[in-house]
Amino acid sequence: MNERTDTSAHRNFAPADIRLVAHQVRYEQMAFWINRAGAIFTVGFSVLFLVLLGASAGNSRISYLGNIRLVQYYVPGFVAYGVMAACFDMLATILVVRRETGLLKRLRLSPLPTWVLLVSIFVSTMIVALVQVVLLLAIGRYGYAVSFPHAWAAFAVVLVVGIVSFSAIGVAFSTFIPNQESAGPITSAVFFVLLFLSGLWFPLNPKSGLAKFSNFFPVHHFIRAVDAPFKLQPGVSVWAWHDLFVVAIWGAVAFVIALRRFRWAPRRS
Amino acid sequence: MPAISVKHLRKSYGDLRAVDDVNFDVEEGEVFALLGPNGAGKTTCIEVFEGFTRRDGGDVRVLGVDPGQRNDQRWLRNRIGVVLQELAVESFFTVRQVLERNAGFYPAPRPVDEVIELVGLREKADDKIKKLSGGQQRRLDVGLGIIGNPELLFLDEPTTGLDPAARRTTWELIRTLASEGTTVLLSSHYMDEVEALAQNVAVLARGHIVANGSPASLGGRDRGLVSIRFTLPHNVSVAELPITPSHVDGAAVEFKTDDDLAVLNHITNWAIQHNLSLMGLSVTRETLEDVYLALTHQASDQGEGVDHE
Repeated sequence: MNERTDTSAHRNFAPADIRLVAHQVRYEQMAFWINRAGAIFTVGFSVLFLVLLGASAGNSRISYLGNIRLVQYYVPGFVAYGVMAACFDMLATILVVRRETGLLKRLRLSPLPTWVLLVSIFVSTMIVALVQVVLLLAIGRYGYAVSFPHAWAAFAVVLVVGIVSFSAIGVAFSTFIPNQESAGPITSAVFFVLLFLSGLWFPLNPKSGLAKFSNFFPVHHFIRAVDAPFKLQPGVSVWAWHDLFVVAIWGAVAFVIALRRFRWAPRRS
Repeated sequence: MPAISVKHLRKSYGDLRAVDDVNFDVEEGEVFALLGPNGAGKTTCIEVFEGFTRRDGGDVRVLGVDPGQRNDQRWLRNRIGVVLQELAVESFFTVRQVLERNAGFYPAPRPVDEVIELVGLREKADDKIKKLSGGQQRRLDVGLGIIGNPELLFLDEPTTGLDPAARRTTWELIRTLASEGTTVLLSSHYMDEVEALAQNVAVLARGHIVANGSPASLGGRDRGLVSIRFTLPHNVSVAELPITPSHVDGAAVEFKTDDDLAVLNHITNWAIQHNLSLMGLSVTRETLEDVYLALTHQASDQGEGVDHE
């Protein structure tokens, strides 16, 4: 009927699309690092919190957690924070802002395939999360003599499950935020309240009522799952299967919600 | 083959009939305008043509393909350019950065420097977008719309919110693109814009097309209707007039005619005989603005269709 059938460009997938992912990831990364507010709130905060908390209270010991040094708890805690800050807080906020300002719609109307866009955003988010993990481990090791994880394989699996699950939660959460003005405040408020309740700053006594409440949410479980591979104790597993499972369930449910509710443009008034 | 062909297009949002039985063709190489007030259904139409919104009924072909067909979507998006109503660019990038990024999406983009030149942003190419004026940002937006070297460009209210000077520059840009052979579908609620740019126009009101043709011929304007208006003295009723007026609003009366001399002669003779003065007597040819307001007003009086946008 016309030249459409002869060109390869009408296919929705082409090997060149892999290069397109690299192209788009590069600009996603530029956007993140140029736009300093985002960089400061995620990478800057996790590093700053660890340095300050480690310096001020790092050597106190936690009687109800096997008498470990507090900073030994903070390193995995802020690794978890870094992953959640990138995948939940940052991802949800940028998605709302881009949706409400028409950026998502514009990309949707360009030939950039949808999967390339989404994969690029995810890869970029993962890079931001991993940069923080590396920085935090290094600060812990060389600043506060906190050893690296003993079980690297377990640590890697926890990170992958966490990055994927919290990204899904971030995307799902973004669909409930009505406008760009409230994106940052709502997401950060929810995030910080959950962090507080989940014992990031003050470790929870496992027997407390607060611990039972926060057990419902994934944040507390993720912190514990990241913590497990750091432990080298006879009879204690480096795999926190139960915690990992709860995080994955949240991720799976969020994924379904995200698929059902995701929008490319602001809701019509 | 027309660039866009629309037959019996229908689209509802819940109970809202945003577009109802719309038909028109956009020929290759022309500037075609969709004109109408807010909520008339312009954006809905454009979103259907772009393949962004699924239509409820009717047949639509854009560059020969159905924009609702997923298999053809990438083919189509390589060949169309889109400028949305809202400015949609990341303000922390430079002009060159966003253009280079978006150029990477297309198989055969226009050279970035050529686009920068064309939209008149050479001096601003390495400035952050947030430092640009409203008009400059709009021109960058158009630049992003044409970076893929499109055959067909959608411009949704390209000059809304711009100052008069920036509007003129944007018009010049659209004329340049049209002279290069790009087909342009633009939506607007400004009559002067449509008159200045478009070869053909469809007037939309409440989801219906109420008029269709060249801007000059709209609503029978080419038949040369003339409007004669004046205010009747207090002691004279409308019934005493020698001819029935087309429109009465209190003591203000209006005659619409294509035989203005005869009507004027008739009325002034009558006034002189009865020693009446006709206050505020004016004889005007209808402007496109009048035609447009009359057309869209009639449509809203019928109470059909709905607002959305």
